[in-house]
Amino acid sequence: MNTLGVRTLFSKEMRRFLRVPGQTVLSPLITTSLYFLVFGWSLGSRIREVDGVPYARFILPGLVMLGVVTNAYLNSASSLFVMKLQGTVVDVLVSPLSYAEILGAFVAAAVVRGLLVGGIMWLVGAAFTGFGVAHPAVATLLLVAVASGFAALGFLTATWAASFEQVNFLPTFVVTPLTFLGGVFYSASMAPPALRWLTRSNPVYYLVEALRWAVLGRSDVPPGAGLAVAAVLATGALAAAYAVLRSGWRLRG
Amino acid sequence: MPDPVVRIRGLSKRYGDFTALDRVDLDVVQGEILALLGPNGAGKTTLISIVAGLVRASEGEATVLGRDVVRDYRFTRRAVGLVPQETNFDPFFTVEETLRFQAGYFGVRLSPDRLEEILHALDLAGKRHANTRSLSGGMKRRLLIGKALVHEPKVLFLDEPTAGVDVRLRQQLWAYVRLLRSRGTTIVLTTHYLEEAEELAERVAVIDRGRILLVEGKELLMARRGGKTLRVSLGAPIPELPGRLAAMGARLAEGGCAIDVDAPSEGSFGPVLAALAEAGLPIGDVETRRARLEEVFVSLLGDGAAGGAP
Ligand SMILES: Nc1ncnc2c1ncn2[C@@H]1O[C@H](COP(=O)(O)OP(=O)(O)OP(=O)(O)O)[C@@H](O)[C@H]1O
Ligand SMILES: [Mg+2]
Repeated sequence: MNTLGVRTLFSKEMRRFLRVPGQTVLSPLITTSLYFLVFGWSLGSRIREVDGVPYARFILPGLVMLGVVTNAYLNSASSLFVMKLQGTVVDVLVSPLSYAEILGAFVAAAVVRGLLVGGIMWLVGAAFTGFGVAHPAVATLLLVAVASGFAALGFLTATWAASFEQVNFLPTFVVTPLTFLGGVFYSASMAPPALRWLTRSNPVYYLVEALRWAVLGRSDVPPGAGLAVAAVLATGALAAAYAVLRSGWRLRG
Repeated sequence: MPDPVVRIRGLSKRYGDFTALDRVDLDVVQGEILALLGPNGAGKTTLISIVAGLVRASEGEATVLGRDVVRDYRFTRRAVGLVPQETNFDPFFTVEETLRFQAGYFGVRLSPDRLEEILHALDLAGKRHANTRSLSGGMKRRLLIGKALVHEPKVLFLDEPTAGVDVRLRQQLWAYVRLLRSRGTTIVLTTHYLEEAEELAERVAVIDRGRILLVEGKELLMARRGGKTLRVSLGAPIPELPGRLAAMGARLAEGGCAIDVDAPSEGSFGPVLAALAEAGLPIGDVETRRARLEEVFVSLLGDGAAGGAP
């Protein structure tokens, strides 16, 4: 294995996003903090509690999940896309790094960014709602799996994409709607039947519920469902990204 | 003869119906500088990209130091340095960081001495901490060369290394290429500047429409295709050559304003000059020229086209 090679690519990816912290860390943090303040506070004064949990505390896991997912995705997607656009992807392709090593380094850095943003968001939210986490190990495992899956999806999208618009397609038109309809702001069991049905057929809902269980210690759905969705997502997306990278599609002539 | 450093056999590359490389065979010998010459779209970049691992062959094989470039890619990529034709830069990083990262990908830690050497050889020392985005076009190309050298490759592929580099730096780069060669690096370069091939290469491979037309020592190639030509410019046009000059193989050029004579096999223009003086022609200027590689190259491509490649 080319250990130094992987470490170098990983640290390059890390430095890339840390060099523009305003874009990569601060801006998602502000967006999500705004959700938290606006929804948590304005609705919180009326809803107060969901199943015995203060509303602001209830929505925090879903917001953290959204932050982790979008940042993991955007890190690998925008990095690979820029490399493709600038032609620097050649530097990696002529190196003795294997496909698994390349993908591993990209995904690892993206996971770190996802967890970093998610972690800071959680700290900000927890300052208002309390720092207790019921099952920290499960929360971490779940988020790492979900972040890996979305990092791999980002890698796939960037391989395919011909424009930034296409890179942004997934977060804008898929992830955000699915997250909003995934019970981040409401409890499916209290929603009207149509919304309840929609929510329950949405895989992101199970991820949010599993994180809720891990953080709050309670959820509508057993956490196993969310962990299973995360496992399928991570293995499926990683395997697909690996296969595409290996095939040389759009990267190697 | 030692085993070739790069050995290419029956290499083809097709893009759909289009054949970019057509059963190419080529050996690159240890320690030489080989120039790959050919018009736009001939397949030069495709050929070296396959050896460097950027492009996959449709057929055939390429080995570097005896190892297959696909099966043994970890080994062959460490042995190969590629300066791609297209410049690239990562807008997030400085020159030094870029070089360090590139070394890292190859599993190499860039020593301070090596870093200094590369920066100086490529005249980038003053830009060490500059963001690569801020480099001029020629500087970006030099950085590209630096990146290809960080892991001390045994074989260096230079795909038009001096496109967009100014004259002074071109000389400097040539000197550096010769230095690398003197240290044992084998070099393959593609170029459109024929003077570059003429200046640097020991052997020249001419490629056109995906086929290698010829591989030959540069001297041989030039000797084969042309010796010196004498050109006599006349003060006023003449309608016809004096018979004695015509018998020596002279011909009228420039609408009768000049006479061209190829060097006779004995190599002396003495008799020609004597005949000219005797004929009492209004001689304006006299010069001799040796056919340049460029002309050789153009005439070869002409032959190739006449040969009727599909
Ligand atoms: N990815 C690709 N898809 C389709 N055709 C391609 C691709 N890459 C190269 N070609 C074609 O293959 C041929 C050889 O291209 P190549 O880049 O090797 O030429 P070249 O000799 O390097 O030319 P130049 O001197 O212009 O750099 C060209 O006709 C080119 O259009
Ligand atoms: Mg080319």
